[in-house]
Amino acid sequence: MNNDGGQRLRFMRQGLSLKAFAWILIIPVLAFFTIWNVVPFLWLLGLSFYRYYPTFGQPPKFLGLGNYISLMNDPNVWERIGTTFIFMVSAVGIETGLGLVLGFVFWSRRALWGRRLALTLLFSPMVLAPVAAGTFFRLIYDPLYGVVPYYIHAFFGVPKPNLLGNSHTAMLAVLATDVWMWTPFMTMMTIAALGAVPKAVLEAASVDRLKFWQRVRYVMWPYGKFILLLGVILRTIDAFKTYGLIAAMTAGGPGNATDVLSITLYREGFVSFDMGKGSALALFTLFIAVAFTSVYLYFLKNREREAIS
Amino acid sequence: MIPVTLDPSRDEESQANMRAVKRSRIRERIKDLSVWVIAVLFFLPELWIFLSAFKTPQQILAVPPRWIFRPTLQGLTAMAKEGAFWTYVFNSFFITFTAVFVAVGISFLAAYGLSRFRFRGGDFLMFVLLSIRMVPGSASILPLFLMYTALGWTNTYAGIIAFDVMFSIPFAIWILKGYLDGVSQRFDEAAQVDGFSRWRTMFRIILPQILPGIVAAVIFNMIFVWNESLFNAILGGNTVQTIPVALQSGLNTINGINWQYIASLSFVYTVPLMATIYFFQKYLLVGMTFGTVRGEI
Repeated sequence: MNNDGGQRLRFMRQGLSLKAFAWILIIPVLAFFTIWNVVPFLWLLGLSFYRYYPTFGQPPKFLGLGNYISLMNDPNVWERIGTTFIFMVSAVGIETGLGLVLGFVFWSRRALWGRRLALTLLFSPMVLAPVAAGTFFRLIYDPLYGVVPYYIHAFFGVPKPNLLGNSHTAMLAVLATDVWMWTPFMTMMTIAALGAVPKAVLEAASVDRLKFWQRVRYVMWPYGKFILLLGVILRTIDAFKTYGLIAAMTAGGPGNATDVLSITLYREGFVSFDMGKGSALALFTLFIAVAFTSVYLYFLKNREREAIS
Repeated sequence: MIPVTLDPSRDEESQANMRAVKRSRIRERIKDLSVWVIAVLFFLPELWIFLSAFKTPQQILAVPPRWIFRPTLQGLTAMAKEGAFWTYVFNSFFITFTAVFVAVGISFLAAYGLSRFRFRGGDFLMFVLLSIRMVPGSASILPLFLMYTALGWTNTYAGIIAFDVMFSIPFAIWILKGYLDGVSQRFDEAAQVDGFSRWRTMFRIILPQILPGIVAAVIFNMIFVWNESLFNAILGGNTVQTIPVALQSGLNTINGINWQYIASLSFVYTVPLMATIYFFQKYLLVGMTFGTVRGEI
């Protein structure tokens, strides 16, 4: 990098070695990182070996791997993991499909009148706090006064459904809200992916009168796949950690119909106050998140290598 | 003089052409209109909340739902008369601005360091920083909660702002390092040959070249901090409560939910977000993809 002799000399003259300068730059961030991440992480790791209920006023009791063993043997935990993955896969699947369609539609109308405002309206759901979006839908799904149950009643002639209170429909209702919130994201990624295709190549394809599917397969996919897959990965990670939306809408209920991992974690820690088991589960979740991040980075690195070769 | 005559057949042809043009123009209009309809459909749930903010409680809960009504400011004025509302608004703005400016400031330093110098474990730090943002909040909140209670940091501005600074750092470093890597080191070298000090090089020569990155980092971290509710609810308290936390706690009352209040608060909460994505739309893509995809949509 920059530490050739001439530069180093100049810095010594300025009274600050290159190394010291470099460290001064990153020390503030390292300080924050240590206090707010390293320390809590070690604390979490330590706690996961203890039985500890802060509300009981008893000192923590060392269990060794006890918490992990009881987690592995807890069928509920596996059920939560199942629920999380069902939610994640269906949400990302539907959003990608719909996003692709809408992405093509919006991409084909680049000279749309008032495009900026239209895109603002389309993208507005994804910048809402999930808690706020969940709150909106509590009103919209309300069994007595909500708009959606009213129109379901009006069009299908069935009695007004209690969408969030029924264990068969709660997951669907939450999924629908997530789809509403995040389809715009996949739409955006599709528009960006299509924007990455060079104009000249697209024109050549239309001169050659390629069919739509051929155009997608041989012209758009090679250029756009990176951005599109990146979108899918980011969305998968985000869907995995969905918390606010479900917390505001159902808090995991009714029963455990919408009880995803992040909701379970919150409950272990702040409702049951089982800090030890909560920590063990948190570490497990952390591990999954780190695995996702690795996939994401691996994907980015591969892309760089591809671009160089 | 050459007599000028109009070829009648050509005239017919051009008329047919005009009709075809007109027809295709109508078709274009219809396509444009249907795209607008899609955009508005996605906005509909928010529109419903916005409309509710201007209704009386009876109108909000009216069956069948009312789309047309005489708007009233009753809900908004009632909310504005409450002291708590102004606390939420102040907290939201104050915490968001302070945390994001501190975070982007120190992240710029660190990103410059990581981009220009080789640190042992630098890549690993980048990886860990990214991982932090991928971990569900409810997994990392437990030890933070214990730490905050042990140190007495709960419900203090310093405590919550410091947390939000750390919350913003990963995104800021990732996006700024991406932009900094794109600025050739020759600029640094040339500036030094001209006798610029290290700090002056950094702020006068390099910083202006990555302004789009700074804007994206500031805007998107502002959105994230503005929206952050889990940590504020657990590590904070009444003093530092922000709008989304107030929204959520408004849902958990025993005396029945005051929908007029919730709708009015949601309205106040959503409008700045929508204004931001209208005015900063070209940063949306880079903001939502952690700085990995640049370009406009």
